[in-house]
Amino acid sequence: MILAILKRLLMLVPVLIGITLLSFLLLQIMPGDPASRAMGTRASAEELQAMRELWGLDKPLWVQYLYFLRDCLTGSFGVSIFHKQPIITLVAERLPYTLAIVAYSTVIALVIALPFAILAAANRGRLADVAIRQVFVVLIAVPPFWLCYVLILGLALGMGWFPTGGVGEGLLENLHRLFLPSLVVGLSTAALIQQSLRAALIDTMQADYIDTARAKGLRRREVFLRHVLPNSLISTISIIGVRISWIIGGTVVVEKIFSAPGLGSLLIDAIVSRDLPVIRGLTVFFAIMVVLVNLITDICYALADPRVRLE
Amino acid sequence: MIPRMTMKALLLATAVAMTGLAAQAETLRVAMSSDPLSLDPIATSDNGSIWTQLLIFDTLIRPDRTGEGLEPGLAESWTVSEDGLTLTFKLRDAKFSDGTPVTAEDVQFSIARAASEASGWGRFYRPITGFQIMNDHEIVMTLAEPFTPAFNNLALFAAAILPKAQVEAKGEAFFEAPVGSGPFVLKAWNRGSKIELEKNPHYWQEGKPHVDAAVLEIVTEPSARVIKLEAGEVDIALDPPLNQLEALDAKDGISVGQTIPYRADFVQLNTTKKPFDDERVRQALNLAVDKEALVQGVLYGAGKPAASAMPVMAYADPDLTPYAYDPARAKELLAEAGYAGGFEAQLVVDSGAATSRNAAIALQAMLQQVGVKLKVQMLEGGTQWETTKAGNYEMSVSYTTSDTIDPDQIIGFVGVNPERANAYHTEWRSDRLNELYAAERKALDGPERGEMFQEMVQILHDGAPYIFLYHPASAWAVKDGVKGFEVLPTSNFRLEEVSIEN
Repeated sequence: MILAILKRLLMLVPVLIGITLLSFLLLQIMPGDPASRAMGTRASAEELQAMRELWGLDKPLWVQYLYFLRDCLTGSFGVSIFHKQPIITLVAERLPYTLAIVAYSTVIALVIALPFAILAAANRGRLADVAIRQVFVVLIAVPPFWLCYVLILGLALGMGWFPTGGVGEGLLENLHRLFLPSLVVGLSTAALIQQSLRAALIDTMQADYIDTARAKGLRRREVFLRHVLPNSLISTISIIGVRISWIIGGTVVVEKIFSAPGLGSLLIDAIVSRDLPVIRGLTVFFAIMVVLVNLITDICYALADPRVRLE
Repeated sequence: MIPRMTMKALLLATAVAMTGLAAQAETLRVAMSSDPLSLDPIATSDNGSIWTQLLIFDTLIRPDRTGEGLEPGLAESWTVSEDGLTLTFKLRDAKFSDGTPVTAEDVQFSIARAASEASGWGRFYRPITGFQIMNDHEIVMTLAEPFTPAFNNLALFAAAILPKAQVEAKGEAFFEAPVGSGPFVLKAWNRGSKIELEKNPHYWQEGKPHVDAAVLEIVTEPSARVIKLEAGEVDIALDPPLNQLEALDAKDGISVGQTIPYRADFVQLNTTKKPFDDERVRQALNLAVDKEALVQGVLYGAGKPAASAMPVMAYADPDLTPYAYDPARAKELLAEAGYAGGFEAQLVVDSGAATSRNAAIALQAMLQQVGVKLKVQMLEGGTQWETTKAGNYEMSVSYTTSDTIDPDQIIGFVGVNPERANAYHTEWRSDRLNELYAAERKALDGPERGEMFQEMVQILHDGAPYIFLYHPASAWAVKDGVKGFEVLPTSNFRLEEVSIEN
């Protein structure tokens, strides 16, 4: 197992080199120049050139790329043109909030999805199943920005149970403050999990070995907990894996509305201001996260299902 | 006996308790749209940075509240020599927030730094070629040749006075925990989330700031800022959505205000391309646009129609009126120019700017009336900028804002060709305007220089290299009890003037 993990980590190297190259080249194609973005309406051509030289943007592409590789290897991922901070520092400032939303929303999603998936599977085709499915389909379809405002207006402004956004100090306060944004993210994860877990449960319940288990006299409850549920969780694990990769950089809308300083808004702001080092550095950072999450997902597969081997 | 309390009562009690606390600590909480990029005054040009810097640092002189004149800052008095080549400043007895005095050394260091290669604002300060420190409180700056805007440029945030010794010792790190002589001191900066400021105990304006502390909360979404105000989580919300202004004002405990800052919105016309090379066509487009309707429809009434691409600022001609809405006359002009049947054109617009997007759609409908069919193309902001800069466009919705209170900066940008942007990439050119621009920069500040500006703006108005749209207002909303808050024409605000009354 450990050997397999090491092998997988080694395979990361070519993937990451590819990603650095791709993110570097794509940014060269992108129109827009940080100097003219920064200097706006007031700069002359000479001033823009001076600014580009100051930021090293006038160097040959391959030199810039080598600098970028060096920055990735030293772990700084480059230095932001505008913030003048190493990108890893900017990431470190925001990562806790993003990770908090990842963890929090996943817990919320599981708490919501598991009982409803089981309930729906147990009542397949009956009213409860149909009703649950409709509700969760709506949850998938609802645009997050709308849900954000509905929750803010209802639970924060209306009932006064939560702050309308922002982050605070300490775990407890942040659990309170990040509840609504995590709920928005968690609800759509829950919808995805519920649908696939329900299908998987139904599938598993029809498997021969379940009949065997019943036949050898296990009680329904035991059959379900020991055989049906674990064998159905594979799809849930992969959904959670995919969602986590997405949440790390993709919850910009939720972050913006709830004023939570996450990595997604850092990326968007960098794109708008054409802070090239931040865009590239973050892209590579996200790629590393995705690869790691995938690896962890695979390990979880292996743990959940002894038939799966890490190769 | 345990009294039974409903959830609501409990929450109400908590809310009351919290309001009580806030009143004691006297912390002013402001919801602001964007996080500063950096607190280094020479490195930034975004609003979040500028507004925050102006609360922490001071300049020698500063625009007054009306934006039409200058008032003393760190300099208590100054003289400009007859030939405009010598500027003398007398400093007041001011201290930085750490208690060290502000000296002429610091002034020389800061202005020279603003003129350096690393500065994004170098061009504003390079005309100042010499410094002479008379004593700790007096400094003389000299120019090699007359450059009238130089004096005014000293009122800009980029010319903020920094403590020389500390900046030299700490380098970039200084701006993580800056020391300035402004009304507030940075206490904590939680990037992307909030900036906590404390009263500067050594601030030179006695009795100010009125509050003990201020928090700038970064709330990007306009609606979310308003919600925070309604929830009582902030005292001031900057830039609420314009379409909510009226409803907000009608709410108990909240009032709104607005000011028209130095900004002008317009559509750039690429005069190197047909049919925009014809002045009659450009004027026709201006006549075909109902600006009043745009102000009502796009700005929800918060703004006023524009007569030119210049913000309404010092020396503005009060008699210059916007092009009238006259589609009949527009059609005549188009016919004269040989476009009786109209034409098709492409209009690019920043997809991220809601107001510009709405304006583009309204323009499409208005110009349709005179036979001009617009194809609206939404581009990401940076891409639009590069596209217009490269001249690969026909029409583009854009705007300009003035950083200084002197009209020199913007007329140079929107009207002069060749210059930095060749009349903001319209490539339009007026020799007379160019001449006046060169003369204005050397003329002593006064009515004569004012007349030059008026003539330049008139030429710009007549030449119409843009469709002039409007000057949008900057709005704000405050909780009752917040006194003295306003957004200045320069778009920043002075929190030191604000008090909270209960």
